[in-house]
Amino acid sequence: MAVLNELEKIWYFMKRDIVSFSTYKTNIFVLLLTAVFGALSFAFVGQSSINQSVTNAYDTNYTTYLIIGLAFNTYLGQALTLVQKTINPWALEEVLVSPTGLATFIIGSSIWGFIWSTAVVAIYLLLGVYAFGIILTINVVGTLIVLALGIGTFIGFSMIGSGILILTKQGDPITALITIATSLFGNVLFPPSVLPPLLQIIAYVTPPYYFFTCIRHVLLGWTIQMILPDLLILTLMCAIIVPVGYVVYSVCLKTARKNGTLSWF
Amino acid sequence: MQTENAIETINLIKKFKSTVPNGNGFLRRKTITVNAVDGINLTVKKGELFGLLGPNGAGKTTLVKMLCTLLPPDGGTALINGFDIVKQQMQVKRSLGTLFSVGERGFFWRLNGYRNLEFFAAIYNVPRQKRNERILEVLKLVGLENNTYMTFQKYSGGMKRKLALARTLLPDPPIIMLDEPTTGLDAISSRTIRDFVQTTVRETGKTVLYTTHYIEEAAQICTKIGILKQGKIVAYDSPEALKAKIKKDEQIELVVEGIEQTQIERMRMLPGVIEVTEKNDQPLMAGQRGIHIELQSVDQLPLIFDFLFEQKIKLVNFKREEPTLEDAFIELTRKT
Repeated sequence: MAVLNELEKIWYFMKRDIVSFSTYKTNIFVLLLTAVFGALSFAFVGQSSINQSVTNAYDTNYTTYLIIGLAFNTYLGQALTLVQKTINPWALEEVLVSPTGLATFIIGSSIWGFIWSTAVVAIYLLLGVYAFGIILTINVVGTLIVLALGIGTFIGFSMIGSGILILTKQGDPITALITIATSLFGNVLFPPSVLPPLLQIIAYVTPPYYFFTCIRHVLLGWTIQMILPDLLILTLMCAIIVPVGYVVYSVCLKTARKNGTLSWF
Repeated sequence: MQTENAIETINLIKKFKSTVPNGNGFLRRKTITVNAVDGINLTVKKGELFGLLGPNGAGKTTLVKMLCTLLPPDGGTALINGFDIVKQQMQVKRSLGTLFSVGERGFFWRLNGYRNLEFFAAIYNVPRQKRNERILEVLKLVGLENNTYMTFQKYSGGMKRKLALARTLLPDPPIIMLDEPTTGLDAISSRTIRDFVQTTVRETGKTVLYTTHYIEEAAQICTKIGILKQGKIVAYDSPEALKAKIKKDEQIELVVEGIEQTQIERMRMLPGVIEVTEKNDQPLMAGQRGIHIELQSVDQLPLIFDFLFEQKIKLVNFKREEPTLEDAFIELTRKT
């Protein structure tokens, strides 16, 4: 009964977000347009050296590589800003005085964002398949596992960034750092193997690299056994970052409540 | 838990640290500690409409935020409906409805009034079967039944505050805390909210903690008042008892006709008269003068009337000034 009650609350969070979202008609149009043009503009970027690296690593072409990278980058972007969206101090105060737990609040506040991101990913992939002829052989279980680990890791980063933001009110270095690191070293637009050796080292210690490596492989039909080393590293990173994020967020929230600065912007 | 007290604070303390400039130099700062709530012991009985009166920065909002579990205390504790604000937070939250001073902040501006309340009804555990009925009921209670489906962003300031009040009432809590609910509202909206609190909320037997810095507002609707200054309760009683605490000279105002300046001078010499001043702040007829007299005691009043009678001075109007709650507030917050 309690679970049903919580599920129903989550439904109302989502319903609230759908109604709010549907009123921003221009924004919906722009978001859809961005997805379409994002796919179109990057599809022609392929360089010969990049192509060779992509072929060596994934046995596919650069268009396929790029479309998968862009599509799932939106997912990670959603996860990265997820917790921040819930720390609007006014909304946070209203929820903290209600008999609803913070976990329900965070999950409920984010679920619609993920559904929308799924739709955007689907647009990217459908365009890739039907307009650019990319061939996907999706390992569904593998995809779900890699997605869960990637989203989890980025929610961990989001909690660290949001915790800092609760205290600093402005300026979240973690989110900015992760966004830049993902663009430069994350294996989103080009494989790290085209980078200078020193920068390649940075790429190999960042979670986005492992996420994008694994997600591409499972979408191209690789089995879990085949990606196991990268998957284990991603799992380890997720297992460290999520609890660290939760602790940082909780400590920062507690500190802000104690200092009476929660409602400050 | 059965208890006759709705709210009880026991030596409740909240301290805030802040940095202030320390001498010359941009970077030279020192940390100071401010006792925002300084050992408050307060009891609000069930069904009482308790007013917490205090100037800006007295600690009213801090106290409210502590009582609704938003701020952890640095010392002492408080019981809400018998539940401890530190150890039994979920029970406290179920017993309370809180309207913050800018209560409209947490709403979703693109949703209409009904959808906003539907969301809050879910997170406040209003039973699913009763939800629709309860939403329409509270919207009607606050007078928004004709604006149910208007988007929140189109609401006026008064309507937004009424919707916040409706949200507070939604889970039907036994205790309601209203933190400066009329601040920033026009006179009509303020009056509507005051009337609503005084009648509708009281009729349902709820306990209300009403914070305000408007003295007359507290005097008008509250059965008991606590005056808060620099985090301390400096007075606590009924509005009438607080007024009675003010030791004030007897003040009377007369409008008289045909009085000479020499007679005013002679009036000053009467026993028990402290001061006689002319007061012409109201429109008077030709030949009339306003006189303000301070007496040591009301016992000297017959001497004034005797003097007027003997001197054949016509008394047109007489008013004895009662101490107001404002007098009590100023006196109590000044002397402590």
